[in-house]
Amino acid sequence: MRTWFRRVWHLLNRPRNERELLGEMNEHRAAMHDPTTFGDPHRLLEQSRDAWGWNWLDDALQDLSVGIRSLRRSPSFAVVAVLILTFGIGLNLTFYQFVRAALLSPPAVKSVESLARFVDMHPHGSRSTVPYAVAEFVKANNTVLSAVLVEEQAAVAWGQDAAEQITGTFVSLNWFDELGYAPLHGRMLSEAIDTSGDIPAIVLGYTFWKNRLGGDPHIVGTTAFVDRSPVVIAGVARAEFPGMDLQVPDVFIPLTQREYFYPASPALRAWSGSDGVDMYGRFRDGLSAAAVREGLRATMQAISQAHPEVERDHWLEPLLATRRFMRDDERSAVLIVMSLIGSLAGLVLVVAAANLGNLVMSRAIGRVRELGVSMALGARRSRIVRQLVIEAVPLVSLGVGGSLAFAAIVATLIATQSSFPPFLDVGPDWRTTLVALGLGSIALIVAGLVPAWRVAQPHLIDTIKNGGQQMSQSLDRAPLRRVMVAAQVAGSCVLLVVAGMMVRSVQRVVSGSIGFDYERAAVLQVPLARHGVTPDAARQYWDDVKARALAHPAVEQATIVTAPPLGGRVFQTGYDDTPGLRTMTQSVDAEYFETMQIQLVAGRAFRAGEADVVIVSRRLASEMYGTLDVIGRGFPKSRASAIIVGIAADAHAIKVNATDVAELYVPLQREDFAEVFLVARARTDADALLPILREAASLDPRVIPAARAMREDFASEMRGPRLAGAVTAAVGLITLALACLGIFGTVSFSVALRTKEIGVRLALGAGQPALLRALMRTVLTPVGVGIVLGVGMAAAIGAALRAEPFFLEHVDPIAFAGGVLVLCLAGALAALLPASAMLRKNPIDALRHS
Amino acid sequence: MLILRVVRQEPLHGYAIAQKIRALSSDQLSVEEGSLYPALQKLLANGWVKAEWTTSDTGRQVRSYRITAKGLKQLETEQDDYQRMADAIAAILESA
Repeated sequence: MRTWFRRVWHLLNRPRNERELLGEMNEHRAAMHDPTTFGDPHRLLEQSRDAWGWNWLDDALQDLSVGIRSLRRSPSFAVVAVLILTFGIGLNLTFYQFVRAALLSPPAVKSVESLARFVDMHPHGSRSTVPYAVAEFVKANNTVLSAVLVEEQAAVAWGQDAAEQITGTFVSLNWFDELGYAPLHGRMLSEAIDTSGDIPAIVLGYTFWKNRLGGDPHIVGTTAFVDRSPVVIAGVARAEFPGMDLQVPDVFIPLTQREYFYPASPALRAWSGSDGVDMYGRFRDGLSAAAVREGLRATMQAISQAHPEVERDHWLEPLLATRRFMRDDERSAVLIVMSLIGSLAGLVLVVAAANLGNLVMSRAIGRVRELGVSMALGARRSRIVRQLVIEAVPLVSLGVGGSLAFAAIVATLIATQSSFPPFLDVGPDWRTTLVALGLGSIALIVAGLVPAWRVAQPHLIDTIKNGGQQMSQSLDRAPLRRVMVAAQVAGSCVLLVVAGMMVRSVQRVVSGSIGFDYERAAVLQVPLARHGVTPDAARQYWDDVKARALAHPAVEQATIVTAPPLGGRVFQTGYDDTPGLRTMTQSVDAEYFETMQIQLVAGRAFRAGEADVVIVSRRLASEMYGTLDVIGRGFPKSRASAIIVGIAADAHAIKVNATDVAELYVPLQREDFAEVFLVARARTDADALLPILREAASLDPRVIPAARAMREDFASEMRGPRLAGAVTAAVGLITLALACLGIFGTVSFSVALRTKEIGVRLALGAGQPALLRALMRTVLTPVGVGIVLGVGMAAAIGAALRAEPFFLEHVDPIAFAGGVLVLCLAGALAALLPASAMLRKNPIDALRHS
Repeated sequence: MLILRVVRQEPLHGYAIAQKIRALSSDQLSVEEGSLYPALQKLLANGWVKAEWTTSDTGRQVRSYRITAKGLKQLETEQDDYQRMADAIAAILESA
């Protein structure tokens, strides 16, 4: 260690040390009778440097400065190369930043390692919410949790006239304290102040305060209206205050004051049912998730003894915040999709690095004579390799710097465009820098080390004899160059085909093949359950609303459903009779098919008051029974519990772009009416329906109805796939441009090296088509191999992305043919341009060139 | 080894080291004198000698090299190695 310190100290003081040594040697020489026997001081100084072991650093610095000089001499090459790297690495960094922000990093809350979400599990399934009464009981009667936090997200109306729908969240009073956040303005909710009080205090979410309310700090202390009831704005949350999922609520309301808004709601007192809260808890010091699960079993048993409606076999399963509240299977499913997208981004880096490698190799081939001279003067192969690699360092460093800037700009742009929650920081940090350096090192290996190793061959010395021409040509034909071209073509082929599949999957939905008509439809939502309405009263209310709506001349038809198309929540069932197919069950009334313009292929619609009958979609019928002749048969096939009365055309109303779903319709039952929607169809324009529906719903003065045109739901449903398709298409096209650049560069360089040969052949009267074929042969095989590989990989990736969230058709002939055709045309053009330009020259000019 | 041996008794500057080696070897080891300096740098780098600026008898500023404890140890090892090698060669020569 001391030796190292000495050497470093020497390096830091090298100019002074060397000056002193030179002085010392000069003194010595002056004292000698015959100074000529002393030796050359400069050579001796060089040897002295060797003694300190820093010569490699001098060499490296020298190579580095050569690299920088050569970049400055050819700025166009430098710019192209840096742009290639910036794009190749930058795209991967951007993807990494999003994955890190949304999936890998736990929410930024106090003591995140002890926070977990609890889901209500039983042997046959799970429910993500827990009844509030259960959460409260657990809070008061357990030995494993130091705190229990709850949240219930709900759409609420804002303003005295309740005209605007916003996202609210009812939270326990310890919400902000337990998550460790102070207010931006005013104060947060607290158990000391907000437990009682005539008018509840609320806290505003940052984005809502900033964008909707103009970011005015003086709003604190003023009165506002939530669901027509007055509230006091107590404070504003910070921008970085995280939502537990990716949603950011507009307002935080004390859950204990829920009944202030909805006096008749049984939600806070019910021990079972669908109205639950998201329950979070903090583990006591040192307890594991398993210990907490077991510790809460006793509490759950105590609840089921006191309240028979809570079944005995339920338990609370903790999902850790450090794992983003995901179960292992959910997490691995998400990670698989992310790795697939990551591998697509990785392909771009492969294409970029191979492209750059080819460019660097072309330049190195042009320098074989110079390198041969170095070798003849005693430089070893490793020295030449080191020289070429270090020369590539400035290029890669600029590329890494550029990629960090690219990632910062693009990530911010995408985050802003897609309304990414502000608490998720997609900006670069030290981890991004580390990833950038790692990817930069890979690029340096592909674009620096591999070409250098290939060029610096032991017989490089021979280049001095023949001017390097022969060696250059043999290197130009080296398999490595073909491999690099093939890699670029394969990468861009995969990206083009996958982009094609994504765009086509969006197109399939947009072009109207989803099987139902949403354009003229509007949805009316009335949260009746909040007001503790009985099922019979609810049924009466909805029948009246439907009748009032239908009475209006602008309304063509109306239907009542449990899950409106485009955004409703339904049960998914996987029947044993239809493996791989998810069946979405909707409860609908008799007018559903007519309202949504879904054709009944056979049989009839439901009749009023019917039960134990179903209508199946065409796909469900043919996959379960192998025939469409199913009217009157039992459903499901193996364990019939209902009779099929009709077959509807396929209409993926709930998951529009899904390819693995089928629909099952059951008639609405009495108990469904507390949580249903009304869907109306306009004679002309859906927007005209909105005031009509709101007016029809105002039968009950307590409720605040919300109506929206279904095409808005469609637009928001398609936003993600559209964005994904656009981004992949853009990346695919840029990668195609890179691959074409690679082909162009390879052919141009090969043509330039063979100028003399071509000149001779032209002068001897060789036909242009034959010469063109000979020149094109350089890239024909690698392009062919690349396309075959690319198609294979695209098929594999397409199959893997068949399920959520992309729903690609894995054998989509148009996407495959289109991708390959575009690649072939662009590749042929890139190869033909330099070759035909050469052949148009006068043969004598070509000969003169050499 | 020779340099370490010469500076073992007292700190010496470059010229004096060269002179002393020449004198001790009765002018048998008259190599290029300048090569002493890369060798001294190697000794410095390994921490076997230390250098310090002093004033010579003639009043000039000179850099003197003094052996360190580590250098003494190294000298002993090298002398032992040399002795072993010389004995082995001598034994071979005598037996032949």
